[in-house]
Amino acid sequence: MNIGRQFKEGLVTNNPVLVQLLGMCSTMAITTSFFNGLGMGLSVLIILTLSNIIISAIRKIVPDKIRIAMFIVVIACFVTCVDLSLQAFVPDLSKALGVFLPLIVVNCIILGRAEAFCYKNGVLASAFDGIFQGLGYTVVLLVMSVIREFLGSGAFGGGVFNGGKGFQIFPEQFGAKILTMPVGGFLCLACLIAAMQWALTKTKNKKEESKS
Amino acid sequence: MSETKQKVDMDPKYILKLTLTLLITCVLVAGILGWVNSITEGRIKEFNREKTNSALKAVAADPANSKFLPVKLTGKMQKAAEGYGATLDSVYAVKDGGEDAGYAVKILAGGSQGKIEMVVGVDGDGAVTGVSIVNSSETSGIGSKVMSNMPLPNGTKVLDQFAGKTADDQPLKVGGNVDAISGATVSTKGVTKGVNGALAAVGAIG
Repeated sequence: MNIGRQFKEGLVTNNPVLVQLLGMCSTMAITTSFFNGLGMGLSVLIILTLSNIIISAIRKIVPDKIRIAMFIVVIACFVTCVDLSLQAFVPDLSKALGVFLPLIVVNCIILGRAEAFCYKNGVLASAFDGIFQGLGYTVVLLVMSVIREFLGSGAFGGGVFNGGKGFQIFPEQFGAKILTMPVGGFLCLACLIAAMQWALTKTKNKKEESKS
Repeated sequence: MSETKQKVDMDPKYILKLTLTLLITCVLVAGILGWVNSITEGRIKEFNREKTNSALKAVAADPANSKFLPVKLTGKMQKAAEGYGATLDSVYAVKDGGEDAGYAVKILAGGSQGKIEMVVGVDGDGAVTGVSIVNSSETSGIGSKVMSNMPLPNGTKVLDQFAGKTADDQPLKVGGNVDAISGATVSTKGVTKGVNGALAAVGAIG
């Protein structure tokens, strides 16, 4: 177990969104404001960590044939708990996330990590994996929402800073409206993935050069 | 090799084990969910009641002195609302200081992401006094613009444009006598369905 390496994998080299390309639907749909990005990111982080712990704890007693069904039941349990708690205690966030919160059940990040990591690793390693992969997801969501919010409507930090109003950096009518729409999500995400892949190949090439 | 695998598959003990494991997990999970639900249920209901109340008040002309008395739903009213693709939830008679001041109709209509729950106020003359959203799951940043009553290009707010419309204006139609927020046509259509349904339901009272 190597926490440093897991940290780097979750945030950079094996980032759930930019490298594993998991959870794209929510990434594109939810990143229209800073508040949404942060809320969704943290919800996934919590659910991912909890379900990682449980799945890794029960991995030895779960028969191989029904493991996917068991994973889904465990994940659905946590998602419903978080959904109900948000509805009861943070109704604004629950309203903003809408249908995407219950849809975390089928978010591939969580099932993907359960299958790829927790089923083979110990409880502690899985817990850290959940935290770091969740952080990686959250960071990408925040970057996306900052870019889309700024270019699309000239604002920053809507729903979180400045008493919930956010900062208006330039007047809203000059924003590129297209970025706040779904198509803007595709464009923004594609650019981010391209940048990420470019950076990763560059460092990889450098390493190989220094080796030879 | 595949033969031995087949044998394991057919082993009744193994099948029983799979079934029992799943059953026990499901029972455990159901127990946990029931417990969480019992904690949060009251608060969620409270929030929804508050939301409905504030939505009712938002459509009344004189919120401070208004009282809302539930009206018994009839099949005719429900059918009238369904005719416009909306589902009637409840109807309240608005009493302003003891005098009749029209109706407030809580109604559901399909948006782009599930049902939009709204309250439509209709005054004694059958004109819409206002539309107020109780619950919706419209896409954040797109359909949610309609839900939060953002202004149209001509300056009128999207939900406020329904005020003053009567049964004579029916059917209200996006692109005709209703303007949609660009990119959120489906959500605007959903609200329009609700307003149409509410006007029709009020028309069917009595």
